[in-house]
Amino acid sequence: MIELFMTVFSATFFVTVIRTSTPLLLATLGGLIADLSGALNVALEGMMLVGCLTAVIVSVFAPWYIAVLAAIAAGALLGAVIAFFHLRLKADIILVGFAINIFAAGGTVFALTLATGGDKGTSINLPSKAIPALDLSFLGVIPGIGHTLVQFLSGHSILSWVAAFLVFAIWYFLYRTPWGLWLRGVGEYPAAPEAAGIPVNAIRTWSLLVSGGLAALGGAQLAMFNYVGFTRDMTAGRGFIALGAVLLGARHPVGALLAALLFGVFEALAVVMPGLFNWIPPELIRMIPFVITLLALTLFSYRALRARQLRTLSKI
Amino acid sequence: MSMTTEAVLGRKARWANIRRETGRALAAALIALSVAFVIILLTSKAPLEAFNVLLTAPISRPRTIGLWIDDVAKLTITGLAFSLVFQARQFSMGVQGQVYVGGLAAAYVALSPIGATWLAIPVGVLCAMIAGGFYGFIPGIAKAKLGANEIVSSLMLNYIALELCNYLVRTQLVPPGSGVLTTNDFPATAVFPALVAGTRIDIGLIFAIVAVLAVWFALYRTAWGLKLRLVGHNAQFAEYSGIRSTVIMVSAMTVAGALGGLLGAMFVQGQSFGKLTILFEGGLAFEGILVAIVARSRPLAVPVVALFYGYLRQGAQLMNIRTDVPAEVIGLVTAIIILLVASSFSIPGRKVFARILGRNATPSAVMEGGK
Repeated sequence: MIELFMTVFSATFFVTVIRTSTPLLLATLGGLIADLSGALNVALEGMMLVGCLTAVIVSVFAPWYIAVLAAIAAGALLGAVIAFFHLRLKADIILVGFAINIFAAGGTVFALTLATGGDKGTSINLPSKAIPALDLSFLGVIPGIGHTLVQFLSGHSILSWVAAFLVFAIWYFLYRTPWGLWLRGVGEYPAAPEAAGIPVNAIRTWSLLVSGGLAALGGAQLAMFNYVGFTRDMTAGRGFIALGAVLLGARHPVGALLAALLFGVFEALAVVMPGLFNWIPPELIRMIPFVITLLALTLFSYRALRARQLRTLSKI
Repeated sequence: MSMTTEAVLGRKARWANIRRETGRALAAALIALSVAFVIILLTSKAPLEAFNVLLTAPISRPRTIGLWIDDVAKLTITGLAFSLVFQARQFSMGVQGQVYVGGLAAAYVALSPIGATWLAIPVGVLCAMIAGGFYGFIPGIAKAKLGANEIVSSLMLNYIALELCNYLVRTQLVPPGSGVLTTNDFPATAVFPALVAGTRIDIGLIFAIVAVLAVWFALYRTAWGLKLRLVGHNAQFAEYSGIRSTVIMVSAMTVAGALGGLLGAMFVQGQSFGKLTILFEGGLAFEGILVAIVARSRPLAVPVVALFYGYLRQGAQLMNIRTDVPAEVIGLVTAIIILLVASSFSIPGRKVFARILGRNATPSAVMEGGK
């Protein structure tokens, strides 16, 4: 037990948590934007997966930032597909979302086979690149706390910093700009913004585009930092966990950050625990994030239900 | 106006509806297949051969016909499970998890002393259905009592069941020290007898047929089914008319779960395995979404769609083995079909096309609209 505490409160564990949380956080923010605009994006998983593969393949030919941008574009494109089928052709968004997931699961393996010349499992023989880590070792000159600062802050992926900034940016956008108000209004009660002349469908389309871009950015982090390279189905349910994290984070950017960190902690624990406790079966450790999502979702729904009931009671 | 004219009119409308839906589904399949053809053309060294395998291989030999029919039986069950849930306007995605817990339950029965007696099959199937029903009940009750989103919870339960199956197989069900992740073969009494010797066609097919009829009867000939369809149509209206919609939703998800559990037993006790292997389901359970969507959640249409889709699925598997085109191309076909069938893509193009070609050009008009 002491060993576990030593590990959990170490700088290396903190760095691992940030690393495991970043893809989740990006996908959760993507899910949040779509959810607030009133479009439940169940395709986060597929968008992440496509983001992973696009990033890996483009990074073979181009610098890492081009690969990241390409991933974002691919995710946004999938968002556009959802928007087109859902808003223009009136298909159910959940069915369209699952179509995207099925497309991504098959399509990425298919594309990988083409790109590697027959390898269906991994991109191991593709010379792909990684996203660089931000080196903050100059902070070490600060007397006293410098060393600790370097240990905790240095060596994170650039995208981790981007994600942290995005939490703030999305909060500002949602709660301090008119477009954020429109977006929330469209999700809350579309008839009112419609009557006020706000283009409801345009706003939903943009939200889905941004949602896809963010999820794919999470995928890029996964395939170019957490792991370097693509393996089939490498997102392994993270997109669905992100969907749970949106609800768990009370549909707020800061909540999304906290929820993503929570899942990051459990994912990081799943990484370090087999070394510490080899009597715990790996299958049960891999189960943890899903059990946590389920419990958290249930508890949170229960609290939300209670809050609704209390509000109704106070009105009477 | 007598009753008969009304009945005739109703029948006419129904036939027109069925014709329209069939046309749309066929058109979607044609579009998806042509996209697949273009992709194969661009990627394969021998595209015509690959396409030929995709379209003809499943009926080439008795063995492959057996594979196809076995797939059809399984796709029918998962399609029915999704149909029930969709008809109650729920989006539980838990069939995969139900298949795993059902398979586990059936395997425990088959490997226990009961497995060596004639009770193995009925008890195994029953336990699998109870386990699956329980697993479908969880997201249902969480939704009804707490408002927990059933999509997220059922998906989480899928992963949990999958890992649980991996764990139990590795630690309990496999003889220690063997190193494989497959149990011993079940005793012959616990394996579904084959209907056609030497193929995979077994009594699972009969289960599938019975399930179709039972679900159709439950939905269209019982009070429960009427309530379920009302709830699916308009939960608020149903609530006003005195139907307890949450009870109906939970029961629909539980019954669908029992179907998922049955599918688990069909996997592990069927001729295809006759033992429990990790990851035995191979993603088939999710393909019930496509079957249910194309069948418009109508139980009697489900096996027809399963027949077509199972054929395509087997064709893709055989193409994977015999040519340089990977089976994953079927994922693209599936996605396109879902997108086209779920959307109202036939409406804009039909009038234009009808004007050009005169009347009776429905299927091609539908295609035009989709492009």
